[in-house]
Amino acid sequence: MTGPKLTATLGSLTLAAGLALTAAPALSQDYPDEPINIVVAWPAGGGHDTVTRLVADYLSEELPVSVVVNNVPGAAGANGVRQVEEAEADGYTLGVMGIHATAQSYMNENATALDAVEPIAVINIEPAALAVRTDTGIDDFEEFLEYARNEPGGIVNGNDSPGGFSFLNAAFIENTFDIELTKVPYQGYAPTVAALVAGEVMSATLPVPMLADLHEEGTVRILGVAAEDRHFRVPEVPTFKEMGHDYVVTDYVMVFGPAGMSDERREVLETALMDAMSQDGFVERGEAMGLMLNPGDADAAADLLTQMDDLIYPIMEDADLVTVRER
Amino acid sequence: MILDVFAQTLLEYLSTPLMWGLALIGVGIGIVLGALPGVSSTMALAILLPVSFGLDPAAAMLFLISVFVSSVYGGSISAVLVNIPGTPGAIVTQFDGYPLAQQGKAGHALAYALIASTVGGLIGLALLVTLAPVVAQAAMSFRSPEFAMATVFGLVLLSFASGGSTFRGILVAAIGVLLGMVGFDRLTDIGRFDFDSRALQAGIELVPVTVGIFGLAEVLRNLAAGREGLPRVPPIGRLLPPFGAVARLWKPMLRGGVIGTFVGAIPAAGSAIAVALTYAQEKRLSRTPETFGTGEPAGIAGPESANSASVGGSLVPMMTLGIPGDPITAVLMGALLIHGLRPGPMLFANNPGFVAGVYVAVFLAVILTLVIGFGFMRVVAQIMRVPRVLLFCTIALLCVVGAYAIRNNLIDVYIMLFFGVVGYLMLLLRLPPAPLVFGLIMGPILEENLRRSLILSRGSWGVFIERPISLALIAASLAAVLAPLAVLAWRRWRAR
Repeated sequence: MTGPKLTATLGSLTLAAGLALTAAPALSQDYPDEPINIVVAWPAGGGHDTVTRLVADYLSEELPVSVVVNNVPGAAGANGVRQVEEAEADGYTLGVMGIHATAQSYMNENATALDAVEPIAVINIEPAALAVRTDTGIDDFEEFLEYARNEPGGIVNGNDSPGGFSFLNAAFIENTFDIELTKVPYQGYAPTVAALVAGEVMSATLPVPMLADLHEEGTVRILGVAAEDRHFRVPEVPTFKEMGHDYVVTDYVMVFGPAGMSDERREVLETALMDAMSQDGFVERGEAMGLMLNPGDADAAADLLTQMDDLIYPIMEDADLVTVRER
Repeated sequence: MILDVFAQTLLEYLSTPLMWGLALIGVGIGIVLGALPGVSSTMALAILLPVSFGLDPAAAMLFLISVFVSSVYGGSISAVLVNIPGTPGAIVTQFDGYPLAQQGKAGHALAYALIASTVGGLIGLALLVTLAPVVAQAAMSFRSPEFAMATVFGLVLLSFASGGSTFRGILVAAIGVLLGMVGFDRLTDIGRFDFDSRALQAGIELVPVTVGIFGLAEVLRNLAAGREGLPRVPPIGRLLPPFGAVARLWKPMLRGGVIGTFVGAIPAAGSAIAVALTYAQEKRLSRTPETFGTGEPAGIAGPESANSASVGGSLVPMMTLGIPGDPITAVLMGALLIHGLRPGPMLFANNPGFVAGVYVAVFLAVILTLVIGFGFMRVVAQIMRVPRVLLFCTIALLCVVGAYAIRNNLIDVYIMLFFGVVGYLMLLLRLPPAPLVFGLIMGPILEENLRRSLILSRGSWGVFIERPISLALIAASLAAVLAPLAVLAWRRWRAR
């Protein structure tokens, strides 16, 4: 691991020493000349991991070097994000993050503050959904609300532990519609789906791709999608907006680097990422994976970050999760 | 019907050099990576995942499944030869495998492990092919209360099985459970026992602990034994055990295979619980339980069979429900997704050819592991003849590299060193180290499911006795703890 870092340190020393204008173009041609590491804060095989590996595959075609995915899980994603934050800002260590990073920054003292990282590009957005088991007899969202109002806490919902996206989604439903759910935490999406299939919980607040197959097969009914547009995997399911509710909650996946990267290097990466994501094969394969691709450059990524922050901060405040850092 | 497609696909793969070539390479790499301490099956797959991108989906699956299946056997090579489990599922293999190797019968131990792996792998595959929906149904009746009680049962059985008194075992297992609580509380995401240190917040990784407590401790033990070292390992005589000795193990292998498949199919249970159950069961059923821990072949064959059978089992939730049962199948599913295939309830209906491809891949991998395993057994067993100094320097080095590689973090190396010392002290105090590792594996599963059960039951502990499977598991655990006491009391009463 010291290899690329050492060379990169030498590289930045050259930059410092040779401030001559001629040095700049030469340098941007030199970068990248070592493998680029992308840190995924979740285990191999998970949602973040697969999308990152897909991007890395196409990114390595755009760059003269190979792109390596590293899994650094732990502490609800805070561990991996921090590893990137603490890495040298030389463009050889990047990371991928989602809404977990925003949430952790408010609830975990050791987590990375979001101004310590630099967004580079958005890959996809992941809209939340609400699904129930078909045998609950709940046919639409209105019936769901009615059930929950008649019997506060009667709906047993499977979700993440506090701070995870499906937890935030459940908390958002509780706040917005003034209902009370029994929120049962699971370690990630796959165990939540298992619990829903086994009937341990009645409903789940997971993203669409996890539920689409079960919805088609009939075990589970997706009541609505919390996005601006319908999800292409289940085009027959309406959005909550169509039902007249202002309920849009989406997760995102974006590539970021440590704060303080040089503009040139960030631009090299930004361009390469945008080019990689506009290749035909990429879009095809991404959609086959059920991803709502939403490629965006560094500015779009920064905007999205602010937007998501505005969305979830109040939810977290209401759930008493803002404990270490206020806005 | 499915057999026709299976035979067809098998023929097709065998007539395509690329396919069986890939399987061969996959098996070769898998055995080596599995044998390296610190590289678990999950990591082996994650490392090789990018290689599979360039292949078409069927070839990618064949390659990855070959790595998966063979790494399970690879894990027992290091368990037998140097007392370090290459993968968590191989922890109990070393109870009897290592003593056997120390008696100059490394070849025997490896052969028992390899043959049992093959038998178990085939049992797992057969049950996967014929009974997947039934097995999935059975596994689905395991929910939070059952998980919690199954881990209690597993811990108790393991403490019973791992040598020394059951109570010492339980004591060590309890420490392991406590270690598993370090880091984020799995239900509330609040840090515990982390002394506000960033390093501990992410919890204690299994690999550095395993590598330290078994591997480094073994190195320290040899260092402490002085210049002459421990008693010399006698030269390897006959490499393979007599046929009769292997054939006599059919029962442990069969039992292990069935248990392994079912336990493997339960999401999150994994091979560690399967091998613990099998080992304890074989020890109980044996006419000579005192030979367990001293090189008993049934102590290798049963758990190894269960370990390999759990591969077939772990594919059940993935193939039927589209849910990864453990971290390893999660990587496989990730690979499928990247190739544009979604495993799930619709897969059987939509893509029978692909399903047959997975079955054939498991079959080829099991058979090739057997072939390659036997082909290289003589070479591998020579490790026992490497001069001790060289061997233990290499092991120490591998311990450090393995611990570092898990998260590219020096902290894990310190943790490995710490547990190396702990492991050595435990040897001096005659405390069995294996329950600590099992406590670390099962503690978080136990706590999470226990507390979740109580959330679901709104605080009532009755949930554990109202459900039949959970009640049975409690009864079995109590019996395991109380039976030795009862026997003792009975003998005293008789003696009067």
